[in-house]
Amino acid sequence: MARHGPPWSRVDAQQERDVRELVRGVAGLQDEADPNFQLALNFAWSNFRFHRFLDVNSHKIEKTIEGKAASWKRLTEEFLNAPLPSIKEIKNWSEESEEENDQQPLSREDSGIQVDRTPLEEQDQNRKLDPCISWKADEPDDRSWLEHHVVHQYWTARPSQFPHSLHLHSNLAAVWDQHLYSSDPLYVPDDRVLVTETQVIRETLWLLSGVKKLFIFQLIDGKVTVRNNIIVTHLTHSCLRSVLEQIAAYGQVVFRLQEFIDEVMGHSSESMLPGSGSVPKKSTEAPFRTYQAFMWALYKYFISFKEELAEIEKCIINNDTTITLAIVVDKLAPRLSQLKVLHKVFSTGVAEVPPDTRNVVRASHLLNTLYKAILEYDNVGEASEQTVSLLFSLWVETVRPYLQTVDEWIVHGHLWDGAREFIIQRNKNVPVNHRDFWYATYTLYSVSEKTENEEKMSDNASASSGSDQGPSSRQHTMVSFLKPVLKQIIMAGKSMQLLKNLQCAESTTCQAGARDAERKSLYTLFLESVQSRLRHGEDSTPQVLTEQQATKENLMKMQSIAESHLELDDVHDPLLAINFARMYLEQSDFHEKFAGGDVCVDRSSESVTCQTFELTLRSCLYPHIDKQYLDCCGNLMQTLKKDYRLVEYLQAMRNFFLMEGGDTMYDFYTSIFDKIREKETWQNVSFLNVQLQEAVGQRYPEDSSRLSISFENVDTAKKKLPVHILDGLTLSYKVPWPVDIVISLECQKIYNQVFLLLLQIKWAKYSLDVLLFGELVSTAEKPRLKEGLIHEQDTVAQFGPQKEPVRQQIHRMFLLRVKLMHFVNSLHNYIMTRILHSTGLEFQHQVEEAKDLDQLIKIHYRYLSTIHDRCLLREKVSFVKEAIMKVLNLALMFADGWQAGLGTWRMESIEKMESDFKNCHMFLVTILNKAVCRGSFPHLESLALSLMAGMEQS
Amino acid sequence: VAVAANPNAVRETMDRMLNKLCNAGLDMETPICVRLCEQEINPEALSSVIKELRKATEALKAAENMTS
Repeated sequence: MARHGPPWSRVDAQQERDVRELVRGVAGLQDEADPNFQLALNFAWSNFRFHRFLDVNSHKIEKTIEGKAASWKRLTEEFLNAPLPSIKEIKNWSEESEEENDQQPLSREDSGIQVDRTPLEEQDQNRKLDPCISWKADEPDDRSWLEHHVVHQYWTARPSQFPHSLHLHSNLAAVWDQHLYSSDPLYVPDDRVLVTETQVIRETLWLLSGVKKLFIFQLIDGKVTVRNNIIVTHLTHSCLRSVLEQIAAYGQVVFRLQEFIDEVMGHSSESMLPGSGSVPKKSTEAPFRTYQAFMWALYKYFISFKEELAEIEKCIINNDTTITLAIVVDKLAPRLSQLKVLHKVFSTGVAEVPPDTRNVVRASHLLNTLYKAILEYDNVGEASEQTVSLLFSLWVETVRPYLQTVDEWIVHGHLWDGAREFIIQRNKNVPVNHRDFWYATYTLYSVSEKTENEEKMSDNASASSGSDQGPSSRQHTMVSFLKPVLKQIIMAGKSMQLLKNLQCAESTTCQAGARDAERKSLYTLFLESVQSRLRHGEDSTPQVLTEQQATKENLMKMQSIAESHLELDDVHDPLLAINFARMYLEQSDFHEKFAGGDVCVDRSSESVTCQTFELTLRSCLYPHIDKQYLDCCGNLMQTLKKDYRLVEYLQAMRNFFLMEGGDTMYDFYTSIFDKIREKETWQNVSFLNVQLQEAVGQRYPEDSSRLSISFENVDTAKKKLPVHILDGLTLSYKVPWPVDIVISLECQKIYNQVFLLLLQIKWAKYSLDVLLFGELVSTAEKPRLKEGLIHEQDTVAQFGPQKEPVRQQIHRMFLLRVKLMHFVNSLHNYIMTRILHSTGLEFQHQVEEAKDLDQLIKIHYRYLSTIHDRCLLREKVSFVKEAIMKVLNLALMFADGWQAGLGTWRMESIEKMESDFKNCHMFLVTILNKAVCRGSFPHLESLALSLMAGMEQS
Repeated sequence: VAVAANPNAVRETMDRMLNKLCNAGLDMETPICVRLCEQEINPEALSSVIKELRKATEALKAAENMTS
């Protein structure tokens, strides 16, 4: 009814204005003097004041509902499940004196709903009536009217009359009571509240929808219990109770899951005390996306569940068919078993996790639990198809944030992980240009099943592990479904990040933005593959295409919606809006595709090939990751090789350190050797550098700025031996970033060691090479013949028989020199050709084949260790090296002596030298032969042979 | 009696009701309608008024077009 006449007030003036505005707007009549305007105005006022709209046209309303069934239903359910707004409305329907009684749990549904009208109508009625009509004046009539039309308030504790059903055969309770009364003298019938089966069914449905305030089922201390004094007329009390308790268990599951959902959504639960003072932690922390995704999946499941329940309730209200509790439970049986499965998964995956666990472990544990559950049920076979579908849809939804993180990382190089739930964490302290970037940027978090050691990646190149153990009673592995591709993910991610930095340094224009909008994310690709995999017989390809088009249109629409939402928060970011839109779209698509039982795992065709779910999954997810890995790592390698001249730098290292640039290095070291021979100080760093620059500048001008040499005094004990004079020389080559990831400082050290060895060998060779036969003779001649050039043949002729010992001496020295030269040359050739050259060729070949940066680093390192080994620099074979050094030393001393002149020599010293040399030679040949015969160092064969050839036949 | 408890929920519900049940295709006039509903005007009456007025306006316009 319209208002009864209050006086004309300010409000009414406002109303008048509004109505006029309405008329202007709707009818388009601006001129108030227009007779049409007045007509319209009068029409409007007469309708507003004197209409009668109490009788709602039920047919009309039904039509509307059917047109928009799903969303309306959901709205209804939400509305129905909303807690009571206020006490005031209850007051309207009861006498004021009784307001305390109505603190009894009163669910909204019961108060408004009635038997002969649809509940929606009633809602409308109530809503419409509330603002317009005041009840106070009509209370007593209303109350009786309500009592007639509304359900009897069985929840108010009125001591009831003895329950008696009108139906002839439904009085079991009374009969049983009678029996007890007659058989047990002390039996006292308790006060029971009579409920009808319909009420029981409805309360069951409400319980399963998650309503907390019920009459029959009570929530005490978080546990759902059945009220004790309930009775229906056709069952005994204990029988009813046992039935209801089974239902209560399911209700418990629903509550627990609902609690989880609420918790993750950030609603404050009832258990939190108002004065607890703890700020909900979600507000300051980043959202834990995996849990959120899981919650979302559960939420969607519950929505469909509640829809089903609402359907059943509607049937009950319509009263067209008979519905008993057993029928309802039977109808819901598949759902109830699904609830059981969900509960099991939930309690293992979420509820039993200790509260202080890190997000990383939580996320991986949840995913692992779901995955294992799927595999478990999958193994059962056809009997659990529904369960597998359900679990699979849960898993696919829950894994979405993880895959999105992976996707973002391996495609864009950004690891965005606010809640630190991904198993790979970024070390914030290490910037990209840092020397240790490649190794230290990411930490792989994993807790292995082995007892103490954390599971480290096998090579040091991928990540340094920094993790602690999980609780000792429970060992998890990292996310098991990603394990086979983890290495590729890490490589791709790091390479991508490096690549982004390299590209930024080069300031290339990013067309990536445009490409990105069309690129399908890893998650989308995964879903598509799964779809096409699991829906064998269906024609899925056209679906995908049209979906893409639809997606694009929807994207536009959603983007504008998202933008308008964002603007409410003063955020003007079109890119953000696009991303939101995509997110919503993906979710809605997903919901349509994967709700509950939509995914039919076509086992018949799969069983032919005996493929399990695991294999299916792997073929859907891993290829996409692999592809991205190959793409991006290949891209990185290309960039390094082309733009950063990686191969050229490697060659440069070999040119200078391994003396492949023969002429250049010859110039350099001969200048040093000359100075040493002339016994001048050569340890001057500036002198060394000048020589180096001069030598290098001729043929490799751009490298001359990068090379430098330094000298430091090593321990002098060794210095006594001439061969060790060169120890302490350090050549260094400044390699720019990012090539220094491959050619690191450690690598340079190894290069330097080989360089030193080569230098020593070359020095010995050089010293022997520059000796002139004539010199020796002339110095022998010096005390006797001082004038003129002495020719060798003359020398021999001039020496008479009394010069025999001298001639013999000279001859022996010639022989020794030649032997030494042979030795040194064999060694030199062996090293330069057999070791360095051939290994170098292999290395070059491998570099071309390298697929990613880690591999390249490994190859390089392996190459260096090979050279190091084969140059006999390893500790184990140090005795061999000692022997060689001895011979080299011998050669140097010999050369010294030669130059000093024959006069300084005595026969004994020559003999000693000869015997020393012979011993060393023999020793080496024996050792090498043994090794070669054993087959352990096949590359030494040539050295062994050539040395053997130089041995005397004794 | 004003429903003080949850004015936002009430408004939302009324909005939905207005738009869906009444099917009057309200766009520009929505704020005015909301105000009127708040001022205790029956929404169904309102919607029927709007429908009638629109019908009449269109009839008027059609008539004008024919004569001119």
